[in-house]
Amino acid sequence: MAIALNDTLAPLLPRIAGGDRGALRQLYEATSAKLFGVCLRILSDKEESEDVLQEVYLTIWRRADRFDSARASVMTWASTIARNRAIDRLRARGPLAHADQVDEMEIADGAVGAEALLAAAGEDARLHRCLGELDNRTEQAIRTAFFEGVTYEALARRMAPPLGTVKSWIRRGLTKLKGCLEA
Amino acid sequence: MSEGPLLSESELLAAEHALGVLTARERADAEARMAREPAFAAEVESWRMRFAPMVETVEPVPAPGEAWARIERRLPANDNSNNRVLVKRLRFWRGTTVGSLGLAAASLAAAVMLGNQPPVVIQPPEPEPLLNVSMGPDGAQPLFIASYDPLRKTLIVTSLQPQGSDPLHVYQLWLIPSDGKPRAVGFVDPGKSKSIQMPQEFTPLAGAGAALAVSIEAPGGSTTEKGPQGPIAAAGKLAQI
Repeated sequence: MAIALNDTLAPLLPRIAGGDRGALRQLYEATSAKLFGVCLRILSDKEESEDVLQEVYLTIWRRADRFDSARASVMTWASTIARNRAIDRLRARGPLAHADQVDEMEIADGAVGAEALLAAAGEDARLHRCLGELDNRTEQAIRTAFFEGVTYEALARRMAPPLGTVKSWIRRGLTKLKGCLEA
Repeated sequence: MSEGPLLSESELLAAEHALGVLTARERADAEARMAREPAFAAEVESWRMRFAPMVETVEPVPAPGEAWARIERRLPANDNSNNRVLVKRLRFWRGTTVGSLGLAAASLAAAVMLGNQPPVVIQPPEPEPLLNVSMGPDGAQPLFIASYDPLRKTLIVTSLQPQGSDPLHVYQLWLIPSDGKPRAVGFVDPGKSKSIQMPQEFTPLAGAGAALAVSIEAPGGSTTEKGPQGPIAAAGKLAQI
């Protein structure tokens, strides 16, 4: 995993843990556009995304003391919180919400290229290279699962093959992915 | 690309949980397992970090202008340090030693949701108001909610886990008043609600500010009066809404 060597945001976290609102504000200014983008990507709804964005910064406020700069950059850590909270919200909409989004697979297809290009510039290129080495449908299934929090069952409904097949694609993909990331 | 080394069933499950492909029931089981097994929790955390770069490549979109003001209004006084004290006490009562990895995972799992507490409203004392608490791992949705009626000395506790999840363990409920010593008050079944009569000797201790916690125990519950033996799945403080 990529670790930012000069993570300029890292010094803010101990201050936030100590109750410094100004430090949270600085973090907000540096990260809110990224985190709002993550919420919007997952929820496709502006109001819900703003709701979740608020929860994300309240979570950061409470959990700042657990941030470990040896494990991840602040941006990675905060983005992961945003992704998890947005997925929680998506799931709270109920199973129907997932079933309704059948068309989104095609939108996701277009997004992959842009993401991969962006990522190629950074240290996170490795994950994208490794994802790119998977066969297309497995890569697509993993990305869709990640951004939409859909279960194997929902993926199978969307992608047509039987449940067991989707499950074995992803499990094989995860195994390859780890091998590639650690190579 | 090479196939890479085969992953164990446990690591595949950790990866699947981090990716989000498990059903609600399987997710609840995985969360409970994370609370019990620091090594499993660390595997899930590693997979979350492996997947994280996907999230980072999303295009930024400026947040609505008024968003910061709303966040600032909702900021509670920072009680991170109080959380740590409570978790430390609980760990002390568990009487187990864990390595630094275990500590990190345990603090994740045992985190207290104080920050999510609604603000305490000062009210005239006439009818004793209900005390409420929502308990969950920090930053996640609550796993248990409870409401205590000081007049009837009754605690109503609801598990938000899927019914029948984690059948190999029991979930034991503890009252932790200001002296920091946990008192066992009963058990909660996943996915169910129950009403528990607060034992007479504990009623003076069950006031605002006392904490409730749920530990994951082997069937029969903790065998010591002193406190939980298993990991803490959730905790929170009683407060008036």
